[in-house]
Amino acid sequence: MPNTPQVMTAKLSDREVLNPKFTQFRFELVKPNKIVFQAGQYVSMSVDPAGHRRSYSILSSPDNDHGFELFIDVEPHGMGVQFLENLQFGDTVSVLAPMGQFVVKSTDPQVPLVFVASGSGVVPFKSMLYDQLQKHGETRRMSLYWGLRHEADMCWTDDLKELVARHPNVTFHPVISRAMPEWPLCHGRVTDCLTVHDVDVTAEYYVCGNQQMILDTISVLVARGVPESSILYEKFY
Amino acid sequence: MTSLTNNTTKPAAQSPQMMTGAVNVKMIGKYKVVVERSKCISAASCVAIAPQVFDLDEENLARVISQDGNDDDTKLLAAQSCPTAAIIVTDTETGDQVWPPK
Repeated sequence: MPNTPQVMTAKLSDREVLNPKFTQFRFELVKPNKIVFQAGQYVSMSVDPAGHRRSYSILSSPDNDHGFELFIDVEPHGMGVQFLENLQFGDTVSVLAPMGQFVVKSTDPQVPLVFVASGSGVVPFKSMLYDQLQKHGETRRMSLYWGLRHEADMCWTDDLKELVARHPNVTFHPVISRAMPEWPLCHGRVTDCLTVHDVDVTAEYYVCGNQQMILDTISVLVARGVPESSILYEKFY
Repeated sequence: MTSLTNNTTKPAAQSPQMMTGAVNVKMIGKYKVVVERSKCISAASCVAIAPQVFDLDEENLARVISQDGNDDDTKLLAAQSCPTAAIIVTDTETGDQVWPPK
């Protein structure tokens, strides 16, 4: 059962522009000084005095409990992005956290996990991946399908390469919809990739992206024999 | 540390009403919440914040189970935390829509 959300104050401690599309933010907790959450949960951040809030999945894993990281698609440049981009180092934010029930359901490491994301929908899965590796080491098979529009949108490339190299139970499938012809891996959408790859019907599938991507992914997986009850999803944009 | 789900600092209201005490007169429960089901994406932030007011139905969509289970501030916070602004808060005294801002 996910933990009860609390009002928390945190200060901006790091900001890294990964590419023109994605920026990563690091917040250190001020009050309280510790957060207990499950991988896949999110924070609800107050982004203006009128009371508007924005929800951001937590990128960091739960063992990192003195703060949290966010990974933001800045291209929409809406209210939340403007708020975050205007923050100076040391500025404080108010969040409600932890929020959400999109967490890994099965505690049995024999049940493989397949994560399917588009764009910033990858955030909860990065947290889940590292959390599961800490909990189960190499006993649990996990796959990450990450759909992006351009190769230039890709980030954490070295981290993910190292992760796969160090953990034979982890596979990573970057899928680029507008890839240059020389892109050596999957072209198209994540659903195209899932249509041609082997699909493990015993796995739990976690899907995060826009509504159409989620519907399309469910449709492909069900057509390939995955029980609908094994498909969990989170739509946030 | 503020817990949002077990707010026991205010008396549970039965309905918007005047509570008459020896010292003062206090209006409680003036906010009415309504869920626009077509907008709900089952994020359940409202349930996490105000579990005595909201829960998820058999379709996993938010619904109002009581107008009085949590205080007005908590109900407003629950509405503001909804990622799709699916919860409308109205002030029953003035008839004004409190959230989302018009």
